[in-house]
Amino acid sequence: MHRRLHGRGALFDVDPAGLAPRLVGLRPHQHRAHPYEHPDEPPFVVLTGARGLGKSAVLAELRDAYRGHTPVALVDCAEEQFRAPPPDRPAASWSPLGQALLVLAEQLAAPVTGAGRITFPRLMSGLVAVAAGGWGDADSERIRREVERILLLNESGSWIGSLAGRWAGKVAAKVVAAATGTGPLVSGAIEATLEAVAEGFTHRRHQKASVWYRTYPNAGGNAQRGLILLSQHFRDGGSSREHAERYLVRALLADLTEAYAGVLPRMQRLGRPLVLLDNAQAAPGPGLVAAVLRDRTEGVADRVAFVAARRGEGRAELPGAVRRALPEVARRCDWVPEATPSSRALLLALPPLSADDALHIVGAVCGDIAVPPHLPAAAHRLTGGNPLGIVLLAESAAQAAAGASAPADLLTSGLRPAEDLPAVPAYEALLARLVPAEHLDALTVLAAAHDHASACALAAALLPDTFGPASVRELQTLLAEEGLPDVPGRFVGDPFVRTLLLLRLHLRDADHASWRTAHETLIAHYPDEGHAPYRLHHELALGDTGGAVAHLRDTFPTAEPRAWLRGLRFIASAPYFHAHDAEGRDFTGRGDRRTAIALGRTDAGHAVPPGADAVLHLRIRRLLHAVWLLADPLVLPDPQVCDRLRFELEQLSNLRPAGNALLWRASRDWPAAALAGRPMEDLGDGDGGDGGDGGPDDDRGEA
Amino acid sequence: MARRGVGTWVREGVWEIPLRRYTALLVAAALVAGLVFAVRVLLHEDRSCGPGVARPEGSDECVGVATGPYDFGQPRLRDVVGAIGRENDRLKPGSYVTVAVLLPYTSTSPTSLNDIRHQLQGAYLAQYQANHGSNGERPQIRLVLANPGATGAYWRRTVEQLTAMTTSGDRLRAVAGVGQSTNAAKLAVGELTRHRIPVVGSSITADDLANGQQGKDPFPGLARVAPTNTDEARALASFAKVSAGRALLVYDKPGDPYTRTLQQSFAALIKGSPYEPQPFTPPGDRTEEGTTANTFRQITHLVCDTSRGTDTILFAGRHTQLRQFINALGGRGCQDRRFTVLTGDEASYLTHEKDLDRGALRHNLSVRYTSLAHPDTWLRATERTGGSAADFTALRRLLADADREPVGPIGTAALDDGQLIIGYDALRLAVHGIREAVPSGGSVPALGDVGLQWPQVKGSLRVDGASGWICLDVHGNPYDKAVPVVELTPQGGSHFVRIAWPEGKPPGKECLPPS
Repeated sequence: MHRRLHGRGALFDVDPAGLAPRLVGLRPHQHRAHPYEHPDEPPFVVLTGARGLGKSAVLAELRDAYRGHTPVALVDCAEEQFRAPPPDRPAASWSPLGQALLVLAEQLAAPVTGAGRITFPRLMSGLVAVAAGGWGDADSERIRREVERILLLNESGSWIGSLAGRWAGKVAAKVVAAATGTGPLVSGAIEATLEAVAEGFTHRRHQKASVWYRTYPNAGGNAQRGLILLSQHFRDGGSSREHAERYLVRALLADLTEAYAGVLPRMQRLGRPLVLLDNAQAAPGPGLVAAVLRDRTEGVADRVAFVAARRGEGRAELPGAVRRALPEVARRCDWVPEATPSSRALLLALPPLSADDALHIVGAVCGDIAVPPHLPAAAHRLTGGNPLGIVLLAESAAQAAAGASAPADLLTSGLRPAEDLPAVPAYEALLARLVPAEHLDALTVLAAAHDHASACALAAALLPDTFGPASVRELQTLLAEEGLPDVPGRFVGDPFVRTLLLLRLHLRDADHASWRTAHETLIAHYPDEGHAPYRLHHELALGDTGGAVAHLRDTFPTAEPRAWLRGLRFIASAPYFHAHDAEGRDFTGRGDRRTAIALGRTDAGHAVPPGADAVLHLRIRRLLHAVWLLADPLVLPDPQVCDRLRFELEQLSNLRPAGNALLWRASRDWPAAALAGRPMEDLGDGDGGDGGDGGPDDDRGEA
Repeated sequence: MARRGVGTWVREGVWEIPLRRYTALLVAAALVAGLVFAVRVLLHEDRSCGPGVARPEGSDECVGVATGPYDFGQPRLRDVVGAIGRENDRLKPGSYVTVAVLLPYTSTSPTSLNDIRHQLQGAYLAQYQANHGSNGERPQIRLVLANPGATGAYWRRTVEQLTAMTTSGDRLRAVAGVGQSTNAAKLAVGELTRHRIPVVGSSITADDLANGQQGKDPFPGLARVAPTNTDEARALASFAKVSAGRALLVYDKPGDPYTRTLQQSFAALIKGSPYEPQPFTPPGDRTEEGTTANTFRQITHLVCDTSRGTDTILFAGRHTQLRQFINALGGRGCQDRRFTVLTGDEASYLTHEKDLDRGALRHNLSVRYTSLAHPDTWLRATERTGGSAADFTALRRLLADADREPVGPIGTAALDDGQLIIGYDALRLAVHGIREAVPSGGSVPALGDVGLQWPQVKGSLRVDGASGWICLDVHGNPYDKAVPVVELTPQGGSHFVRIAWPEGKPPGKECLPPS
């Protein structure tokens, strides 16, 4: 079977079964039943993760896998239609959740293999009652338009379809007549609707549906009164509206339950209906999730499989939810609902893709187009397994000229998102989807920062005056909500996003003015010796290696080896977007001088500062450039440089008998890690905190 | 999704959905059932001929027990079968017992068919008389036709059907008829009596198809209306005064029970004859012509070669061979010598035989035989016992009534071959046994009780048959039954000569067999 998604086998596997077949009760893309893992009540699955991790792709694949086999609805809560009511509709009779329920029901109604359309008489009655609340000054044409869309929810679509169509028209006429008449507006419309439901169909199911609102609180056993109260509560807003909305959600689920009840439906329908909510952190999402979870907690059972996707971890909204990484639930969930509503949710963090997945994706995207053989590995190393990044890099490689193969070239080359759209640089296309557009400019600047203080310094230098420390804090919070990792020493925790942002900063001005200003600001921000690695890091970013070499050379004999190595790594993690000339100035031509220096080809022409140990100085210089090169995610590791790195570290270990073991191990581990595309990790037990003078750890991921 | 094959569709679009799965299974089952049914209909032709009658595998003959009015495809039987059907339909369920008339109805020989028709007509008249003319005696009698096939080959199947009818609502209580004394008939009677079904033989005369031979009763429950061959031969001997020096024996070799017993009886009569008995070997089905005509031509020469004192030829054979022999004698060299052919009741078949050279009978040749019955017997007889003209007249009257409703029509009837009379008497004996066996207070006799009545049929409990008194000995054989000796006439027919008695004289008034 054709697989669109890679690396999501934990969800879509068939044998042994992944989460999706165990949850829905159907094998993906097949009309074959599969035993439920939770026959009584399925977990409310919420996929979490930052942008670009493939949440939407997973939901789309779920929809494609089950469409036609079981009722499926996919709603993107970030869509425009949920943001505001239609222009001619008063806000009192409209809510994002109501709109979402209508859209969900419209999609769920579609017929599937073996069974016909599902009707939603309860939801229809409720939505008509809610809509009627806004018809105070409406013309009949608008009322007819609104009511007819809702009435279509009761369309069975079978051989009596034409009859039902006529029924909808008749009811619409009746409702319009009642609404524009003289009597009390809402009750008139509701009465007409209820009458039509009860009269138009003598079927037991419809009669049951027409009296469903009898149980609405304070309805006193009168369905019409229940609907009037519902409409009133909805119009009242606030918690009253929440109450009404919860009842509407319950109506939808009751209609679905009804569609699955009885001998005949049980013999016709396989699995559970599937409701997919993308961007569930946005408006109708939280309300819908809360309503379902609360009903389930209160024992109002439904038989729907929910899969929502939300950015961030949602710890505030779903505090008691069970949290798992996706691979952990590949075979079983270990999920047991507890007393709290949020415990009925199962939060699944989408992990980055593996190198193998990257290989598969590049193969799938590029197809027959010849791409450099190292591209999958490079893409995986650069993106850290971000699916969107891998896909766009592969597309960029597929569209680019045959020569462009380095990751840096692919990021800056033009990428056409579609046939008829103009090309944009790949890094811009990526940032547009990985970073909220309204904060992109601020983040572009602040990506160079390390903590709140340095961010404030950068903001003061490069951002408008309105962007103060409070805005920096707000941005920090936003990043956490977006699901980006919180890494000490980095304002933007995700290395891939940070790389893209810094690249954007670098390319913002033709003469790299912003880039220089940012780094100079930070160099000035860290004048003291205690923060030397930070300062030297930014000097390196500007192409000035002198200070770094001197600092490392001078501290080598005395510093604790572990801290010294950590400092070396941090300094060498500075970005290197294009070549600098010997003086560190931007060099317009192509080429990377780090390799030449690391291999010692420029040693002869390099003037050793007076008073310094020339051998040690040159060795440190070669070492710094080797690490700088090998840690650069935009450049592929050079085996020759790796070899040289090993040699230099070996030699250094001889000079420091006390730190011999540590340096010698680094000489073995670092080249191997670099060649394998892994970060050059901290050595030993990793207990070494971020020693102030040792410089912050650059953390894993900066490879 | 593009590669969805039929298998996938069946698996996912039908099998996985219970409603469709069960519907498909039902439809498939219905289709299979329909297919099986259609194949059965196509492959299995309808072998049924009528109720209870079917063609066995590999045969076109309709055999079995016809429980409805089925004439076995014989136009000659149509009228009498219709009459029996009407009489049967008249009977109320539960008020009757069934008597089967076991005869080879599908025989292709016109002669045999004539005999069969006559026997059946006689049986029907006896049924009609039993149901209408006996003061409402119970039970009433239903007649069914049981056909074992022209040669009796399917006797087992027919006997099984008859056996089943003894316990069903048919309440079969006796089988009458049986026809000729063939091997199949012997086996059938053996099987029937093994199931304790009473059998009344009408025209069986063979000695070994009877009880009491060598002191054994191999067929318990068998009663016969006709005397045994031995008795016939004794009667003939007493009539003709045959002596060893004047008679030549011609016999069927290997023969069947009838011819064998006749041959043995004749051989005993002419013990010490100077002439060697002359055998002939007919085909297995003795109604076929075969090559025996040549044999008879040679025997004719021998006949002429005998001394002039020889004037009697004893013939132990079936009627087809007898006809060939008579025809051969018609062309004998010694036309001047007078010969009398004496034979058993088979000669009665020649009464209306078209192939018989009747001219032969005009040239010093007379054919005399013991008939089972003859219509002239009691009209001319002088004996006061052993039978009476009144008993025969009752049958004549019945036959006259049968020309029209409600009794008839029963088709062309003839009395002179004796078959009608013997069929009538056989069924009367059966009815007598059935009604005598009815327990007091009941109306239906037990099956085995009917056969137990036969030894009591004597004295005042005798049956006054149209052919003569029927007094049975303890073995169910008639005692001193009147044997009409009949002579074939050149005109085509027979005339009664006189009555002969197996004992040499008529029975006493009390008609009790000596112990």
